[in-house]
Amino acid sequence: MARSSIIDDVFSGLQSALAPAGPNASGIAELSWIMFAAAAVIFVVVMVFLAAAILLPPGRRGWLSGQGVVIAGGIVFPVVVLTALLVYGLALARTLVREDTPDTLRIHVIGEQFWWRVRYEREGEGDEIVTANEIHVPTGRPIRFLLTTRDVIHSFWIPSLAGKLDMIPGQTNGLTLAVERPGVYRGQCAEFCGGAHALMAFDVVAHAPADFAAWREAQLRRAVEPATPLLARGRELFLAAGCGACHAVRGTPATGSIGPDLTHVGSRRSIAAGSFPNNQGTLAGWIADSQHLKPSNRMPSFPVFSGEDLRAVAAYLESLK
Amino acid sequence: MMGRRVRPVLVCSMLAGWLAGCGESPTTDPEWRPSTGGAAARGRLVVERVGCGVCHVIPRVAGPRGTVGPSLAGFGSRTFVAGTLPNRPDVLADFVRDAPSLVPRTAMPPMPLDRDAARDVASFLHTLR
Amino acid sequence: MTATVHKTPRAEERTGPAGLPNPAPRPEGEIEALKHVWRAPKGLNFITVVNNTYVGLFYVGTAFLFFILAGILALIMRTQLAVPQADIVSQGTYNQLFTMHGTMMMFLFAVPAVEAMGVYLLPNMQAARDLPFPRLSAYAFWAYFFGGLAFFCSLLFQVAPDTGWFMYPPLTGTKYSPGINADFWLLGIGFIEISAIAGAIEIIVGVLKTRAPGMSLDKLPVYAWAMLVFAALIVFAFPAVILCTLLLEIERAFGWPFFIAEKGGSAMLWQHLFWFFGHPEVYIIFLPAAGMVSMMVPTIAQTPLVGYRLVVLAIVATGFFSFGVWVHHMFATGIPQLSLSFFSAASMAVSVPSGIQVFAWIATIANGRLQLTTPALFILGFLFIFTLGGLTGVMVGMVPFDWQVHDTYFVVAHFHYVLIGGMVFPLFAAFYYWTPLASRKPLSEKLGRWVFGLMFVGMNVTFFPMHLTGLIGMPRRVYTYPAGLGWDWLNMTSTIGAFMIAAGVALFLFDLVRRFRITEDNAGNIWNAGTLEWLPSGDYANRSIPRVTSREPLWDQPHLAADVEAGRYYLPNAPTGGRETIVTSPITAEPQYVVQMPGPSWATVLGAFFTAAFFILLTVKLVIPAIVCAVIAVGMVIWWLWDTDPGPAQATVDIGGGIRLPTYVTGPMSHSWWAMVVLLMVAGTLYACLLFSYLFLWTVSPDVWPKPDALPELPWPLLPAVLYAASSLAVVLASRSLRRVPAGGAGAAGVWPMRIALAAAIPLVVAAVATDLAAQSGTGLQPTESAYGAVVYMFVSLQGFYAVVLVLMGVFTLARSLAGKLDGVRRGTFDNTMLLWHFAVVQGLVGLAVTALFPRLVGG
Repeated sequence: MARSSIIDDVFSGLQSALAPAGPNASGIAELSWIMFAAAAVIFVVVMVFLAAAILLPPGRRGWLSGQGVVIAGGIVFPVVVLTALLVYGLALARTLVREDTPDTLRIHVIGEQFWWRVRYEREGEGDEIVTANEIHVPTGRPIRFLLTTRDVIHSFWIPSLAGKLDMIPGQTNGLTLAVERPGVYRGQCAEFCGGAHALMAFDVVAHAPADFAAWREAQLRRAVEPATPLLARGRELFLAAGCGACHAVRGTPATGSIGPDLTHVGSRRSIAAGSFPNNQGTLAGWIADSQHLKPSNRMPSFPVFSGEDLRAVAAYLESLK
Repeated sequence: MMGRRVRPVLVCSMLAGWLAGCGESPTTDPEWRPSTGGAAARGRLVVERVGCGVCHVIPRVAGPRGTVGPSLAGFGSRTFVAGTLPNRPDVLADFVRDAPSLVPRTAMPPMPLDRDAARDVASFLHTLR
Repeated sequence: MTATVHKTPRAEERTGPAGLPNPAPRPEGEIEALKHVWRAPKGLNFITVVNNTYVGLFYVGTAFLFFILAGILALIMRTQLAVPQADIVSQGTYNQLFTMHGTMMMFLFAVPAVEAMGVYLLPNMQAARDLPFPRLSAYAFWAYFFGGLAFFCSLLFQVAPDTGWFMYPPLTGTKYSPGINADFWLLGIGFIEISAIAGAIEIIVGVLKTRAPGMSLDKLPVYAWAMLVFAALIVFAFPAVILCTLLLEIERAFGWPFFIAEKGGSAMLWQHLFWFFGHPEVYIIFLPAAGMVSMMVPTIAQTPLVGYRLVVLAIVATGFFSFGVWVHHMFATGIPQLSLSFFSAASMAVSVPSGIQVFAWIATIANGRLQLTTPALFILGFLFIFTLGGLTGVMVGMVPFDWQVHDTYFVVAHFHYVLIGGMVFPLFAAFYYWTPLASRKPLSEKLGRWVFGLMFVGMNVTFFPMHLTGLIGMPRRVYTYPAGLGWDWLNMTSTIGAFMIAAGVALFLFDLVRRFRITEDNAGNIWNAGTLEWLPSGDYANRSIPRVTSREPLWDQPHLAADVEAGRYYLPNAPTGGRETIVTSPITAEPQYVVQMPGPSWATVLGAFFTAAFFILLTVKLVIPAIVCAVIAVGMVIWWLWDTDPGPAQATVDIGGGIRLPTYVTGPMSHSWWAMVVLLMVAGTLYACLLFSYLFLWTVSPDVWPKPDALPELPWPLLPAVLYAASSLAVVLASRSLRRVPAGGAGAAGVWPMRIALAAAIPLVVAAVATDLAAQSGTGLQPTESAYGAVVYMFVSLQGFYAVVLVLMGVFTLARSLAGKLDGVRRGTFDNTMLLWHFAVVQGLVGLAVTALFPRLVGG
């Protein structure tokens, strides 16, 4: 049982570079396996030489003891192998860095301490979409991520889909990739970005093209109206407590842009940048005590609500599907 | 993404859960079956999956250690749930599913648990002595 | 510390062969006089000792202390990571832990440890009585000791740096790190780097100028070669990190926006400067360790090293290549493909020299007969671990692969394989191998096997799984991780391994406490090694300084040890009545003169203490006490220097064999001239880095560069240029007239032209800097408004710093003239002042040309 679990973690893990789900990650995984195999062979050969130098009878190890072996093993062999490897690796690198094609989907991802702002460029007559910490993409179509940061350096990394690329102040880095099959792939910030760096993850959800269109459609809608008195009370409290200063909920007076857009927060898989599951309970806990749960994140704890009010706000947010 | 697989450390917890489950008092609820080790172990995974730790400190559960709600350490020895309800497995199972329906002024929202999952959670919580 | 050497007859039993430089037996009382001159001070004064054998041991011991402290931090981290979402330490504490672990292992353990071994071993290996600047090594040690401890203590107050050991801005700027944590790093480490540079200068001059006669470069022990390249790497790499820490600290303290993108700064500037240092840093740590291995392998195999020339070539080549690979730490920053290809190729190339060395060691082992002692075990462990680390190094040099594993646990595994394999294991081998030099008893072979076993297995259990942990997605520097990603069992395994390593180190400590005793009677050449450090020695080092004819003199010159101990070789006495050693020519190692060296002084210890206090007080923003400490520190250094530059004790002395050597020289033959030139290389590299920064910032943000009409009018830069030139001219005139001052003729009227010319040069250089400053500020340029303003004022500020130093040195030189300690012969102090003067003037002129002309060229 344990063994099959290990193999699963490597080859079908949510966040494994060895479980590729797109051409970029596959190319690199292939290179990896070639290098692992070659390294294993070289390592064994060197260790066998070393063992021979120690263990063979003195008369039978003379071939190992001259300058010739130093030149052959230390210069000729590595130069040949490394040159071959370099040519292969650089050719691969070239194929991984591609320009846009007309059907490229362009998605801006902005790193912030400690979450991801995601913005889809407008397509056709639709508006642009703003969301956070969850990137929905269609399969079988090139996707170009335009990576920037609002504060410090972050690094955008989805191991199953591609190598990482940094988000650096003052520059925009572009990463083009494609996803082969629908599924959920986990990404995480890879460059230490301060206090809660460890809690800065996100999900990439890949859909078949039709499903993606439906998702897009849904995201373009304004926030749903509260359906029950409790939810209405929740919205009232949300606005009264000043949440709108940092958060936007399209269709309400809340238009803040410091924190994540919450128009469809209830539809997301997790909260706090992949840190916790998303339900009324965790939303309530997060609102009341975000600083304890994710120290040094920029959202203050709101221990101001009564129990019922806290529930109402959490219920309202959860209803924003 | 949590607890996708049973690991060796879990086996120990299962054993502990099963041992603890043996000591549980019978319930008056006719529908209620005495909890088994399997239920408590499943319940622990549910607790991790839905994120109860965001608000509670819960022994043996990986995850955040929230302080919004009370600590659940020793919960199995408590007399009351939320200070008002008897700490019986059936009541507890109902409470973790939909607390406001039992205690209207509570801060604890309804949780996305089906009936079986709620019972598993209750079984697990009763192993916390 | 007298050693008995095995397998050679005792001195008294031999009749002196003809052809040795000095007759034996030696005169009555000679050895007592030698002992008296070189004795270590007693009681509390013992801490002022400067002999390399003592300072070297203090140095190694302190480095080892930091190894243990940083290792404890690692154990805390491993405990936190043993299971997912553990709660052993808080997020804030964990971030301090990993930052301090990396910083301490690199700056307080690895570099000082290899430098310390050099201080201890080099003079012994080259049969010099001491390093050429004993007080400098003592100062470097104490500065490191006080500074390092204070730096560590920041952790106890929860104000330790918490942004990772490479301190990337903008995270480390005041906006995102407002506390003093980052300042601790910038000032604390910046200061310890200065101590490393002091040591490097000492080592370069020591290797090139104080060798046993006859030890020409082709007979130089491989270790000395490695240390020479090591020191050269420090000279050319450390200025980059000193500059970037300086720029960042200035940004933090005064708001000069070098790294702030909104104002034209660049976070990438930091990365370029830091890694221009950071990659050579790896070889700074590895080369000395490889050098030690090249000394130990021949002994444990009892045969000379195979491929000596290739190995030396490999070491030198590593030094060169290491400056061409810094960008491989930045593959994921979006750098253009073409540069990536170049740096990827260079990263491959740098692995070739390591391959040469590995095969040279294997060939040597094959050529001889390996004795499986504890040092041999650690060396075999090193070969195993380092080969693996080298192979993963090639992998991360591949750009696409690096995009995946960069900043993950794969890289953590890789560099621990390289650093623990490439440095810690050789160092432990060295501890076991050279302990008989310092201690009465060697360390236990029996326990040694256990120490090795625990460390070797523990190392692999800890770090091998991390390759996989990284590949399946775990980034480095995370204080916690969720369950369910497959990382749990891998992390648990790593944690178990970490405690195995700790057990091995603990066992080593136990053995050390039990058996390591510094006494008169060391264990001696128990391994039957062939190099000079195994000659019998005392506080005075060797009784006489041998002439060597091969690379393994103890193997090839059978009576060498006995003859050396009997005083039959050079300089068996102390003819000037003070500490001295033979200075030799850099290539052929022929004796040139006998250098008189200073002895113990409180000035070094107190100077180091107050220097450290200055930096620490500045960090906690106690500015006034900091300035007081700085003034005291400068006073201490002046006190220390006042005793140096002694002038000729007597015209010449006889060292034996008919060789009469002067006791004082100046100019290019002098060790002090060499040290000054090396220091100027450091300063020049620092300046080159600043010029690079100027150009780099321009390429990033040409829009903040001024239009030509916003620059100072062209005549303005000419004024400081003329003033600079005039000050240099005055110094040249002073030098000419100093030549005419007869020895001891300080009172004569002839000394006044020199004094007047030098005194005139001082205000000229100050005026040059002042007019430069006035010209820039006259245009309304502010250092805080843009990266351009910041870098231009940085040019001026650096010149201001040099002006202050030149004023101090000028006044010091004048004071020595007035005290009768400066004349046409005894002019070392003046020469050094003059060298720095001309350097600062040339640098000032370059700065003026760049700031005045470059914007006009590009902004037309």
